[in-house]
This record gives sequence, structure tokens and C-alpha cells, in this order.
Amino acid sequence: MALARRTAELVRLDRIAAVIFALASSWDFAAAAPTAAPAEPPKPAQQSPAKGATPAVVLDDKDVETILGREIYSDTGEDMGKIVDVLVDHSGQVRAAIIDFGGFLGVGTRKIAVDWRAIKFGPDGKSDHIVLSLSRDQVRVAPEYKPGEPVVVLGAQSPAAPATAVAPAKPARPPASGTPGNQAVPSK
Amino acid sequence: MVSTTPSRRSLIGLDWFTFCLADVQTAFGAFISVYLTTEKWTQGDIGLILSIASVVGLIGRVPGGAIVDAVRSERFAAAAAVLCVGASALMLALWPIFPSVFLSSVLFAGANCVLSPAIAAISLGLVGYAAIGERLGRNASFQSLGTALTAAGMGACGFFLAPRAVFLMTAALVVPTLIALANIRGSEIDTARAHGGLAAPSPDFGRGLRRLLTNKRFLAFAGANALFQFANAAMLPLMGSVMTMRSANWASVLIASCIIVPQVVVAITSPWVGRKAERWGRRPLLILGFAALLLRSFLFADAPNLYFVVAIQALDGISAAALGVLVPLVVADLARNTGRFNLAQGLIGTAVGIGAALSTSFAGFITDRYGSQTAFLALAAVAAFALVFVYLTMPETRPDEEQ
Repeated sequence: MALARRTAELVRLDRIAAVIFALASSWDFAAAAPTAAPAEPPKPAQQSPAKGATPAVVLDDKDVETILGREIYSDTGEDMGKIVDVLVDHSGQVRAAIIDFGGFLGVGTRKIAVDWRAIKFGPDGKSDHIVLSLSRDQVRVAPEYKPGEPVVVLGAQSPAAPATAVAPAKPARPPASGTPGNQAVPSK
Repeated sequence: MVSTTPSRRSLIGLDWFTFCLADVQTAFGAFISVYLTTEKWTQGDIGLILSIASVVGLIGRVPGGAIVDAVRSERFAAAAAVLCVGASALMLALWPIFPSVFLSSVLFAGANCVLSPAIAAISLGLVGYAAIGERLGRNASFQSLGTALTAAGMGACGFFLAPRAVFLMTAALVVPTLIALANIRGSEIDTARAHGGLAAPSPDFGRGLRRLLTNKRFLAFAGANALFQFANAAMLPLMGSVMTMRSANWASVLIASCIIVPQVVVAITSPWVGRKAERWGRRPLLILGFAALLLRSFLFADAPNLYFVVAIQALDGISAAALGVLVPLVVADLARNTGRFNLAQGLIGTAVGIGAALSTSFAGFITDRYGSQTAFLALAAVAAFALVFVYLTMPETRPDEEQ
């Protein structure tokens, strides 16, 4: 009991430290920015940062989006749950998204790993939904994702899913009848 | 001396207090993980917060009950706890960052440890031993109505409102809860009776605890409650998962029905349970509740059709009505003349919490290895053991008529 409380305390201190650190670093940045700006006259043609400054890229927020906690829909607009996690391999390539599927008020939801290539992010037609090219019927029967166990990644629906450089080491398995699934075994 | 018949105003205040409180508690408990997910919390952090809250909810029961016993006014303790719940909902809605969510969930779990004994204590102090069975039936009824309406409302609002709005609404609900509480006249609550008799309970906390822990009937009842939850707690979540797997389009509606049906059954049958507990005694109804659990787990293991499962959930309502009324009632019987009614409730609450926690891990483990049907059969075995245990160890606790 005392141990549990101490662990919780440690964790909380850790979080507070992280928050303070984040605040401090953002304050530093805010303080440094105005002094740096007048020293360097603006060069409209050249976007390269000043010598010694951290290189940065400015993106239009219409071109990028956050995905954690976002609703995901099927091609036909069915509710497929929310994206709750993203899995990457050792090279940092995104392999799968974990979606929290089904249930009601958190009762009976299942976490399912779906192939990253089965998800479409672009504004597809009129809606800006994130779209998963799998049907509810395909997702509901998939084995649940559990950390520390072999991950069954539900594959893309169309057999023509591009098997590009995403997984160069592993030959793309020809999709069998039904839903193609990938066994990705975590190395320990 | 306190008047023996409480005013209508106080009784209606208690009705609405239990109703509003159920609203607040349901909204908070069910929605927190959904909300944190939309706030981009990682699954690890959400799991950490939920386990911290359940640990606090478990170890806080006994001190919570002891606090209610020690405080002069049950209403004051309840009001403070309701304010904590409101503050915690507001914190969650406004600052979904780790330190505040951590504090908020600890505050909520702690407040619950005070609120559940406080409702029973206020009831006992208000109506006395002669009418407590009927009153507890009425409480359970209003509580279930609150839970059912909130679950249904949140299911509907979830599509239209931001998850944050649910917590703002929860915080706003604290106002009617406190108004209802204020309508219960403090002067009509017999403080001594609310603590389980004895005008001046001995200040020695350790002796009170020892007295309860050496009472054989009390220990048997705590064991029976732990066993009941061991068989019960994992059953609906497990069935929900099975439903999500088996039905593509109707799973959400079916799961929602599985949550709401038992609440409706509890709302309808609890007053009846309360009346019969006075007439037949506690033991037959307790056995009925445990038998309904056993039957339900067998039917779940076999469940041929998901619509049938919704019907089976009526049995959950029968168990919940029986236990919801009888647990505080039997505790009141056992803690009579000890002055430790709330401490006793806290101890039983701890047993319930341990049973529920074990249930989830046990059922999860068996499901992973052998599938959900075997898990339901294992839960049925536990339920059968619980029924035999109650049959053999629990005597009738209804006091003789003359007191």
C-alpha cells in the first residue's frame, strides 16, 4: 500500500517535472524569439534559418492533422471507433494504428490493430473523415491487440494495397480469401 | 429527542439526493476513459489513472466509513463529498493534464468512499430500524433510475456533445444534488441511530474494528459479497466484448440495452425487495439474488442469440436489486448497537472491491487462454460456490420484533 502510494507519487512528480520542463522550454523559446528576429533581416527568397539556430519547417495546419483520439470511419461512413495508438517498427516506419472499436460507454470495446496502409487521411470527396478501408464485419472478428503479445495487423481490403518500401524486409503475403492479416511478432 | 416520523419534505429530499447522485457518479465513471482518449491521452496514462482511482476506491472505504462515523453530521460529510465530486468534474473538464486529472480522480474515488455509507446512514438516521428495509428499497429504486437515465442520455449526447460537455454537466448537477440534500432536515436525523445505535460510540477506533472483524456473521457476509462480485463484476464487460465481436451493427445498441435493462428491473423490484426483507427476512432474498447470478452465468455461457442476452440481463437486475437493498440492510442488522455502522459498510465495500478487481483479471486470463465460453463457465462455478457459501454460512439477521 505504501509502495503503491510512493510509486504513484513518483509518477506524479515525474509528470510535474515534465510539465515544468515543457513550460520552461516554451518560455525560453518565447523569450529568445524577439531578440533573434531583429538581428537577422528578413530574406524573402531564402527560408534557411540563421546560423546556429535550429532548423524548422512551417506547415499549413490544413496539410497536417493530429490522429490520436480521432474518430475513424469506414468507406460507407460507418463508425469504426477511435485511433488510440500507433505502432512503428525499428526503423521508425509506421506499421499499424490501434483502433478502439465497438462497445458502449467503454463497455465491450475491443482494441484492434489495422494496417497503416488501410487508412486514408486525405480529404476524400466532401468529408475530412479519416477513413479505414475495412468494414465493421471484418474488424469485429479480429483478435484483440494486447501489448507484449504477437500483433495481428488487419490488412488493407483491396488486394492492390501498395507493398512499397514500408516493409522491405518482409515479403508481402498474398491476401488469402477473407480479411488479410499480418502477424507481426515483436522481438524481445 | 428526535421525532419518530420524518417529514415528507425530508423523505422526498432523500429520494432526489440518491437520484442526482447516481447521475453524477455514472457520468463520471463511465466517461473518463472515453474523454481522455479524445484529449489525446495515451492508453498507458489512462490505464494508470484508472488503476490509481480503483486503488484509492479500495483502500479508502474503511477510512471513509470511519470518517462518516466520526463526523457529527452525515449531511455535512455528504455535502463536502458532493462538492469534491463537483470540483473534480470541473478540474477534469477544464484542465485535462496529468496532475489535475490525477488529483481529480483521487478526489472522486475518495468522495465515493464517503458518499455510499453516508446515504445509508442518513436513511437509517431518518426512518429508524423499523422502516429501513422499505427505505433502502426506495433508495435503490431512485439510484437505478438516475443511472439508467444518465446512461441513456449520455449515449444520445455522446453523438451531439463534446465529451468535455459531459463533465461540465456533471459539475452543474452538483447544484440540484446539494439542494436535495439541504431539503433533508438535519434535526430529523437521529445521529446515534445513523451510526448504528449507541448514543456515544467508544472513541477507540481499533476496538470497533476488532469487534467487527471477530464477528463471525459479519465475516461470512463480507466473504459472500466478495464471492458475489468475483463471479459478477467481469460478466457484463466480457459479454460486451463478445457482442462487439458477434454483431457488426447492433453491438452498441445491445450493450446499451444490457446496461439499461437491469437498472429498470432494479428500479421496479427494489421497493418490493425492501418490503419482503421485513416480512420474510433477509436470508431467502439473499439466496434469491445469488441464485439469479448463478442462473445468469450459465445462460451467458450458452447464449445462442444476442437478443436473448438482453433478456437474461433482467436476472442481473434481480441480483442487483436483492444485493443493493440487502447489503446495507444486513450490515445495519449486524452493526446494531455497535456505533460502527459506517465503518462496517466500509469493510464490506472493501470486500466488494477486492472481489470485483479479482473478477476482471480472472475472467481476462481465462478468456485469453480458453475463450469466453469457458470464462463464463468458470464464473458460473464461482457463482455456484458463492450460493453454497451463503446457504451454509449466512444466518437470518432480522432482529426480533420487539426492539
